[in-house]
Amino acid sequence: MAASVRYLLKPWTPSLCFVRWSRYNPYYLDPDPSKDAVPESELSPEQKELQELKTVRPIKAALSSDTSSPFNDPLMSKFINMMMEDGNKILARGIMTQTLETIKRRQVEKYHKSPAAKREEVECNPYAIFHQALENCKPIIGLASVQKGGKFYQVPVPLTDNRRRFLAMKWLITECRDNKHRRTHMYEKLSQELLAAFANEGNVVKRKQDLHKMAEANRAYAHYRWW
Amino acid sequence: MNLHKLASRLRPTVTQKFRHFHIQGSGQQLEAVVGETSSAEPSLLSVFRTSEQDPACHSERHTGQYYTIPPAHIQKLFPHGLPPRFQLQVKTFNEGCVMVRPPALELISYLKRVDYSKPPLRYILYGDTGSGKTLSLCHALHYCYTQGWLILHIPDAHLWVKNCKELLPSSSRPSRFDQPIQASQWLKNFKITNERFLSKIKTTQRYVWTKRESTEEGRPLGELVDQGVNRMKSSSDVVGAVLRELRLQAGGATDGEGAFKLAVAVDGVNALWGKTTLKKEDKTMCEPEELTLIHNLRKMMKNDWSGGAILTALSQTGSLFKPRSAYLPNELLGEEGFDNMEPFVPVSVPNYSEKEFESCYLYYLDRNWLQHPHSRSEEGKKELIFLSNKNPSILERLCAFL
Repeated sequence: MAASVRYLLKPWTPSLCFVRWSRYNPYYLDPDPSKDAVPESELSPEQKELQELKTVRPIKAALSSDTSSPFNDPLMSKFINMMMEDGNKILARGIMTQTLETIKRRQVEKYHKSPAAKREEVECNPYAIFHQALENCKPIIGLASVQKGGKFYQVPVPLTDNRRRFLAMKWLITECRDNKHRRTHMYEKLSQELLAAFANEGNVVKRKQDLHKMAEANRAYAHYRWW
Repeated sequence: MNLHKLASRLRPTVTQKFRHFHIQGSGQQLEAVVGETSSAEPSLLSVFRTSEQDPACHSERHTGQYYTIPPAHIQKLFPHGLPPRFQLQVKTFNEGCVMVRPPALELISYLKRVDYSKPPLRYILYGDTGSGKTLSLCHALHYCYTQGWLILHIPDAHLWVKNCKELLPSSSRPSRFDQPIQASQWLKNFKITNERFLSKIKTTQRYVWTKRESTEEGRPLGELVDQGVNRMKSSSDVVGAVLRELRLQAGGATDGEGAFKLAVAVDGVNALWGKTTLKKEDKTMCEPEELTLIHNLRKMMKNDWSGGAILTALSQTGSLFKPRSAYLPNELLGEEGFDNMEPFVPVSVPNYSEKEFESCYLYYLDRNWLQHPHSRSEEGKKELIFLSNKNPSILERLCAFL
């Protein structure tokens, strides 16, 4: 058993290197580039086990877009990757930073123009707005197409976390690309959508709510799901 | 305890505790400390701001501090002069604050001491990209405005040598080219800045624009400017006429209504002697000499008049056919430009010093601009210093999305 695992661990480079695929043996662990080390006493038993594992097991190579700085946000990186076209990461990252800047400018302007009593309510942090807006766009339940008796039914189905996050980001990006005026910049469109989603308004939140309503309407077919 | 806080406040390096105090700024503590500072420095409300609004009174002890330009002055004096990102910042923060820095102080001190009966001195602000040349120029111009000078501000000479949609052959001279849109735009802004002088200055010569239009001798300058704004075709020649009138009358008149000092401020002065990207109708390249606006501006740069000063700043950002790393006057002006501008007073504009960076950082914190929790910590500040190398424009762009 140990011998076979060791065989799996041998550094094997394929003769043909696929550019877009980096397929690692599942034995390899994900890298954690952050600098802060949590002291021993605060870790739960599972996390202590993970720390032990890290000293023994091999770790995958870190992506070149991840930094050890606390400014690095994994959710932000995921969104930038989804927005990227033809591998143009510089453009996608530029659009994202411009979006954050636009959101912050609008909010800080509102902050400075509002009276002292209302200033507490204005949220100026673009990262907080982005995270909250994404949360507001995530659907709780989805629909799957199941075939039964020759017909296809839309069956309400629970979604994994990854799928929900993916759907929220996808809806945001397609909404901005398709349904807005073609002469506006992407960062303007994105900032408008994000601010609207933060306030639970706008087309993306509406789409999520429509999905929920469809799932509620098709409640009767829930038993068609077998997984 | 209060004395300790006062002492740490007056020192330029700011401790963590002080910054914490400054951000929270609870009412009672602030009043108590203000009571004690009233004997020491009555104008210092905090380390990075000064309440001294008059540029004439700025001195070395105000270096690194921000002073506010009143909104009325911004509207009048800078309809087109401020850099676009700074204009956005003014709109966002609801106030126009400029940092007092040594190059601007140097310029203002020269302006205070010069003898204005002699020909004007040429000052060139040079420095790395984004180090603050344009804003230093604007600071000096604000000083001139508060002293009642006539401001002739060309915000970016590069805009006159590229991207011109309409290039008409000149109506007055056969080998020259006119740029009506740029000229009339500039005349409109000139009118906003110098309203009060327009009725006082009179023309000294008769100008004929077309067969039916002419401006007589002795008419107020306002009429000349209106002629240029309304009639786009002759606006470039009007600009030339206005420059000529101002040059003749700058120091000339004796004390009385007519006396005024002229401040000629050109940003991106290296455009006047560089190359253009404009093409003539036969697809050959246009020389800067063949453009009316550039030709007249070059005449202005010569020091054959008296009663004013020529403040200029170099700029690589909008320049044509110059490498990114060029920033010295020799490299950017070229041989011809350097010979024309010589002798001049060079003023170097470096990146932020430690104290200035500290001040900028505190200003952004105060205006609620740095939102990322890590950027408000010591580690984050060190990262910002590392990433921006204390270059003002790079720091501004970094803090914009953090």
